[in-house]
Amino acid sequence: MTATDQVQATTAPGTPTRQRDKRSAVQPAVYIVKKLLALVLTLFVASLAVFFSRFLVPGDPARFLLRGRSPKPEALEEITRQFGLDKPAWEQYLNWLGGILQGDWGRSLTYRQDVSDVLLGRLPTTLQLVALAAVFITVLGLFAGIAASLNKGFGDRFILITLTAAGAVPPFVAAIALVALFSVGLGWFPSFGSGDGGWDRIWHLTLPALALGITYIAMVARVTRSSMNEQLLREHVEVATSRGLTRGSVVARHVLRNALGPILTVSGVLVAGLLVSSAIIERTFGLSGIGQLLVQSIDRLDFGVVQAIVMVVVAAFVLVNTVVDLIQPLIDPRIAAGTESR
Amino acid sequence: MSQLLQIENFTLGFPGRPPLLDSVSLHVNDGEAVALVGESGSGKSLTTRAALGLLPDGSQSSGRVSVRGLDTLTATGKQLMELRRRHASMIFQDPRAGINPVRTVGDFLTETLVRLDGLSRAEATERAVTQLEQVGLRRAKELMEQHPHQLSGGMLQRVMIAAALLNSPDLLLCDEPTTALDVTTQAGIVRLLRDEQQSRGMGMLFITHDLNLAASLCERVYVLRRGEVVEHGKTQTVFLTPEQDYTRQLVEATPAIEVGGLAAPVVAGPPLLKISGLSKTYQLPRGEIITALDDAGFSLPEGGSLGIVGESGSGKSTLARLVVALETATSGELLLRNLPRPNRALKASERKVLAKDVQIVFQDPYLSLDPRIPVGNAVADVFRLHQKQGRKEAKDSARALLGRVGIGQERFDARPRALSGGQRQRVALAKALAARPRLLVLDEATSALDVSVQAQVLELVEELRDQLGLTILFVTHDLAVVSRLCSELLVMHQGRIVEQGPTARILEDPGDDYTRNLIASRPRPLWDAEPVTA
Repeated sequence: MTATDQVQATTAPGTPTRQRDKRSAVQPAVYIVKKLLALVLTLFVASLAVFFSRFLVPGDPARFLLRGRSPKPEALEEITRQFGLDKPAWEQYLNWLGGILQGDWGRSLTYRQDVSDVLLGRLPTTLQLVALAAVFITVLGLFAGIAASLNKGFGDRFILITLTAAGAVPPFVAAIALVALFSVGLGWFPSFGSGDGGWDRIWHLTLPALALGITYIAMVARVTRSSMNEQLLREHVEVATSRGLTRGSVVARHVLRNALGPILTVSGVLVAGLLVSSAIIERTFGLSGIGQLLVQSIDRLDFGVVQAIVMVVVAAFVLVNTVVDLIQPLIDPRIAAGTESR
Repeated sequence: MSQLLQIENFTLGFPGRPPLLDSVSLHVNDGEAVALVGESGSGKSLTTRAALGLLPDGSQSSGRVSVRGLDTLTATGKQLMELRRRHASMIFQDPRAGINPVRTVGDFLTETLVRLDGLSRAEATERAVTQLEQVGLRRAKELMEQHPHQLSGGMLQRVMIAAALLNSPDLLLCDEPTTALDVTTQAGIVRLLRDEQQSRGMGMLFITHDLNLAASLCERVYVLRRGEVVEHGKTQTVFLTPEQDYTRQLVEATPAIEVGGLAAPVVAGPPLLKISGLSKTYQLPRGEIITALDDAGFSLPEGGSLGIVGESGSGKSTLARLVVALETATSGELLLRNLPRPNRALKASERKVLAKDVQIVFQDPYLSLDPRIPVGNAVADVFRLHQKQGRKEAKDSARALLGRVGIGQERFDARPRALSGGQRQRVALAKALAARPRLLVLDEATSALDVSVQAQVLELVEELRDQLGLTILFVTHDLAVVSRLCSELLVMHQGRIVEQGPTARILEDPGDDYTRNLIASRPRPLWDAEPVTA
């Protein structure tokens, strides 16, 4: 007998309810605080890794800044001091972290600007791209998954094969194919640039977002399909049907609703990962976003920018997953109670 | 006038395979309670689901299944939905699986009222609360806000019944509604069903594998075997004077408390297992402490047989797991052959030594055998490990032992999947016996089996006990099974031993209120003088 069985058994008949009520009032708060603490801790550990990994990379940033010119020793020293590279590593870290907390990410070596300015110039494009891709992934992925799950036989197999093929296409191939078809062939969408604001922006970003999302659409669709298939076999679905509910009600209220947990978890991880994969797409479509900036900056040993971008990506990743974790108990109340035995 | 439920020559099957149901005919009149009895795989659930038009995907059917004159095999989707809403409701076996775990109880109850009958949320809630109170649930308003995992199995089954009754159906279909519940809870649910059925004048079709239960609730009975109705008639007639061999076997296999039939002698040898002051507590992540076992003490002589009876959560399984060292006691003493058990997790070498003396057989043979290992090898492995036999010798021993528990040569290389539930449990038993243990712990070892198979396995255990001089610790929820096998009995309730002593004495003259309640909760036939009360 497991401990959970014991809980169910002992809290079974009416008696211990008062105790439970008290607990349920405190529990969500504790759960949220725990998750947030974990978030802060993860970010802290990530900042350590991000900062100190620079010391593992060969090459002296100050030297690189001088572009191969053989500098006078004084000049080199001057630049080293200017960027605070002469101080011990831990002090550099504290300065860096302190700066970030005050909104100062340091200065870029190549752009000779504040890192935050460099970043803010590029971030919106990438975020819009990722947001649009996320919308495509959720809508198309869910739609394909649901359609596959509800149409057993030919429909299911057709969608599954299409998904497998789509999932195997690398983003840059997808990008070229989409451009060839929709911009060169049909001329519906532009193949280059990010447009100016509003609908024009969305119009420009449609193809990049699709190219970026296509692999992920396949994954979300597969998870949706298998999660729904699992729920469809559950007895509570049969019970709902036996009570005379329409097929639509049963699917929406009892199948999809219960299948949301895994779908959300996977989507969270995927969407956060989009930030990283956007580099190739940005390059292909000539968008100036942080993905492209990251690649450039690594190339040029512009460690300030690299650190900032990596921190932003890590933060986004951890944040999205924390939000997913916080939403999960709303979707399945058993998670909060810690008794998800089935 | 057409009957409420009329099934005529109903045949159901998948193309290219023998039919699952073969010309089943039965009927239920208004206000009548009818039982459909059969073992697993007999097709009783299929028959009942057909009454609601719930047929398995890809199946082919013929015949007629009509409810209030509507043939569900030919009805349109709309007609079926109307039927399910107005005329027939179903109560399922496992309320924990049957009620959507992520929605509230209130949502479950009111969804049909709000979506189909167009009631406002407030009206629907009011009706649901009234209905919950009627099925005997207190604090109904609070329950509406709770989720299924916060309720006990018995409460959930009442919720399920309330949901079925909300539609005021003419026909109530019950698919083993009490199988997942404890005996005392079952008694309450059965009484509730009987009361509701009588007072509303509903027709009821009650599926069960338990003949006693069918007899306690229904006037007429159909006996189903492999998709065919083999016998039907008044419950009393069918059970007391069965015409068919199969029915007779079924009636005989159904365990009953037989105080007189206790063959097992009371042994007064030296104690093999001695337990005193044994407790086990679990600490939950949020700091709560659960006492699973509280101050247990007993002694079991060599060659004796002890039954441990209790409901779920009584601590009986914890006790069994402590004996075989799957759990470590929090406090107390456990002596096996006068050797004290250390109060820590055993080392691998110690466990091997222990395994020679103590073996356990679990409830579900579908889970306890490795699906990828042929059963012969599984048993031979034990011989090699514990008897230090060579590969070939071990295989021979395994063959002999499997033969003894009734698994023939031809099954030696079969994987567990290819065996029936009863055969698997025999293999599990052989695996345990291969270690030549002194003490055999059976943890609900027959609960997952059909009655006829259960009877065979019990017979086997009895035979082995007598031949090998095994000491037996039998953990079960079923008093009748214990009365047949064990000379000593121990009744557990909420982690404590409430009563212990010779089985015959306890069954005839229970000293504790809980034991009395447990014995009284066993279903009694309608024709017996005693009313069905707990």
